[in-house]
This record gives sequence, C-alpha cells and structure tokens, in this order.
Amino acid sequence: MIKGLYSAVSAMLMNASRQQTLSHNIANLQTPGFKQILTTAQGFMQNQGVYSTGYTNNGSIDYIGLLGLGTQVGDEYIDFEQGALQFTENPLDLALQGNGFFSVNTPEGQRYTRDGRFLRDTDNTLVTVDGYQVLDDAGQPIQLPDGDVSVGSEGTINVNGNVVSTLGIGVFANPETELQHTEGNLFIGPVSSTGEEAPQVVQGYLETSNANPAQLTTQMVEVARSYEAAQKLVQNQDELLGKSIASLGRIG
Amino acid sequence: MSSSLFQTLNISRQDMLSHMLDLDVTSNNLANINTAGYKASRSNFQEMLNQQLKGGVQLRTTQMLTTQGSLRDSTQPLDWAIQGGGFFNVTLPDGTIGYTRDGQFALDANRQLVNSSGYPLFWTGNIPEGTTDISINPDGTVIGLDAAGARADLGTVQLTRFPNSSGLTSYGDNIWLESDASGAAQTGAAGSENFGAISGYRVEQSNVDMGQELTRLMTLQRAFSMSTKVFEQTDLMISQAINLRKA
Repeated sequence: MIKGLYSAVSAMLMNASRQQTLSHNIANLQTPGFKQILTTAQGFMQNQGVYSTGYTNNGSIDYIGLLGLGTQVGDEYIDFEQGALQFTENPLDLALQGNGFFSVNTPEGQRYTRDGRFLRDTDNTLVTVDGYQVLDDAGQPIQLPDGDVSVGSEGTINVNGNVVSTLGIGVFANPETELQHTEGNLFIGPVSSTGEEAPQVVQGYLETSNANPAQLTTQMVEVARSYEAAQKLVQNQDELLGKSIASLGRIG
Repeated sequence: MSSSLFQTLNISRQDMLSHMLDLDVTSNNLANINTAGYKASRSNFQEMLNQQLKGGVQLRTTQMLTTQGSLRDSTQPLDWAIQGGGFFNVTLPDGTIGYTRDGQFALDANRQLVNSSGYPLFWTGNIPEGTTDISINPDGTVIGLDAAGARADLGTVQLTRFPNSSGLTSYGDNIWLESDASGAAQTGAAGSENFGAISGYRVEQSNVDMGQELTRLMTLQRAFSMSTKVFEQTDLMISQAINLRKA
C-alpha cells in the first residue's frame, strides 16, 4: 500500500516537470527558429511483488510477479522539424528551408542556430540580434560593405551585386544526437558538418517556432488530468491507510 | 532534475509580461500608420535557458525596421522625401542633433525650416524674405526665386547615415538619436552612394504594414490568453498538491 502511495506521487512529479516544459514551449511560440522540447516518461525501477502471510513454515517467499514503482522523467529531445516561414520584408532576416544551421560565434565558442534575425554591427559585421558574429563558410566573421544586401539560396551574400561572402551553414546527419541545446535558441555541435544536403537560404523571411499551439493545448489537458488522477490516487491510498489503521485494528 | 511548479508559474508570468511589452510596440506601430517618415519597430523575443533550467522567453531588444516607405505626391514644395538610407538632421531644444525621415517642412516666423513637430532643420543656408518657388534638387541644393525674380541658390541640405540604423534610439516625435548600437553618424551629400536622394513635392509614408501589424496583434493576443491559461493550470496543480491531504 505504501508503495502505491509513492508511485502516485512519482506521477505527480513527472507531470509537474512536463508542465514546465510545455510552458517553456508555449512561451517561445513567437521566438523565431525555436525548436520545441519533447519530454519522455520512463518506468521507474521494478520490484518483485511478494505475497506474504506474515509467517512462513518452510522459509520460502511467494513471488507474485513484477511490480512497477512508478514513473520518472526521461531524457529530453529536441524536435528539429521545419517551422513555417513568415514574411518580414527585412533584407537581413534569413530563414533556412531544410536541415541545417547558421553558424555563430559566441563568447563561449561556436554555436549553431536556426534563428536568422541578423543585423549590421557598428563596424559593418553581420551579427545576430543577441550580438553574436555570424560566421562564413571558413569560420570567419562576415564583413558587409555599405549597400544593398541580397542573399542567394545557397547562402552567398551579394552587396551591390558583388559577392562578398558565403554563409557558413552546418548540416548534420543526426541533429538529435549530435547537437546539444543551450541558452538562447543555440546549439552546441561538431565543428564541421556531418550531413550532405544543404538547406536553402530564404531572404526576407523568418522561420517561426515549430511548436503547434493546438497540440500544446491538448498536451496540457493530458498533463492536467493525469496530475489530477495521480493526486486522487494519493488521497485514496491515504484514506485506505487511515482506515486500516483506525478501523481494522480496532479491538472490541 | 528538479522542477518546481513555482518556476513554471514564473515562466508564464514572464511570457505574459513580454506580450504586454510587444502589445505596446504593435499599438505604437498601428497608431503611426499615417505618420510621414515613421519607421515600424519590432520586438525581438529570445529563449531563456540557464544551465538547462527553463525560463521561458524574454523580450531581448526592439529593432527599428529600416525599409523604405512608399512616396506620396503632394502639392507642397517643402514636402521633401528621402529615397535611400539617409536621415534629415534637426536641431533639438538642447542643441544636439536628432535624425528624422519626416520631411514635411514649413517656414516658421523666424523664416527657419521646421518639420511637422516644430524642430528646425539643420542645414547650410537660409531663406530670405520674399523668396518664392522654393525647390530642392536630388543632391540637396535648395533653389528659389528671390524678390527680384532671379534664380538664387539658398543652401544645401546634407543627409546623415549610420552603419546600423536599426539600432538608433527613439527620441519621440518621430526623431531618432545616435546610439552605441547604431554606430557613429556619417554626414554626406544627398544623392551620393548610400545616403539617398531627396525629392520635393513628395512625402515618405509610414512603412508600417497594416496587415502584418494586425496579424501580429491577433497572434500576440492569442499567445497572451494561452499563457494565462497555462498560469491558471499551474496554479490549479499547486493547489491540488496543497490539498493532497483531505481534512
């Protein structure tokens, strides 16, 4: 009976954690290039269920099969599905269509991102909205001369009709395992590409979050109800425990 | 990994706050849909994640969108519009220079050229009494007919550009100020490369796109109500945890 109490509580904890991840995904519905975080639940350890009468004649215990002890939060995965493209008209807003990432330089080192909100820095370097340098195909910062910028679908940057640079785009065969999610929409990954097919760069567009509001809402209902069910189970078992102590043991 | 429901409440709170700020930006854009030379602003959201602790979203920066507004013909000779990246220089009350794309000028009582908010244009020239037929060339030279009817050069209007004009800070009244993000102001002749040419009898209209702003308004309203729902649900979960033990 006490085991059941702990299993029910473990379900509550798991759902509290899911609720947090869902809130995070919902909060980032309007963050360009955001990739939703997926949660997993894992069975907790299992135990041999024992039927015991409280005394035994022959020293043997009757095993009645495996008994699960609840659930726990499993690993988190990033959903790298393509997000929808939104027209912004801004020439330095870039979106990627297909598997791949822009390469940027942060104080902590090279990072990858799908967030293509770029700006011209005061010294004409191409930077992200967070101020990180965008890197070219040789891993160097990109200098933009004055003038109109146009970006080709292969990532070549033209200013006033002259090619000045090519965007460094990382393509990974298995982003789920090769990339690690880190602060501010960025990913840590291998220095060079491991994949083949490069994505298309689309100028004047941003990639929106790939989370789906309708899906998030239904998941939230799921979380709410399973949390509630687990809470009821805790209460029930508490009640049963109370009864068994108070009524069963009463003498006379 | 521990996850507190109170931290989850905090994510929703942060989310609602960001959307309120975004609402301010969007309403300001919509309010200025007919303001000459107005440039739309955009809120830039960014994910907050610290050592795998999820923090939701924050409004990191607002960014001025520098796309060219369309030019509308006018009957006023002093309606000047810039086609290109430059800004007019106006003198602010404290003597510093502000930058604007609003070129609807008029002559005030002191025969100074002032823009629609009343700030005098900073230029090399003046307009003597009795001058008629004032016009401007694409290179910024202002010409007119003097009292005797002779053609006279009145002076030159120079334009200013910035390495990153989307980083200018707003002064209000459709005027922008130089900032660390914009880089140093570079003043040059109108019509030269990257400064843009000036044309008279023209007004640059606001670059706010009504369709885009209204869509933004709708999505942000839905996103806001979604985060209030999340907040309510997290609150309910906390209350269920508190009431685990029946009285």
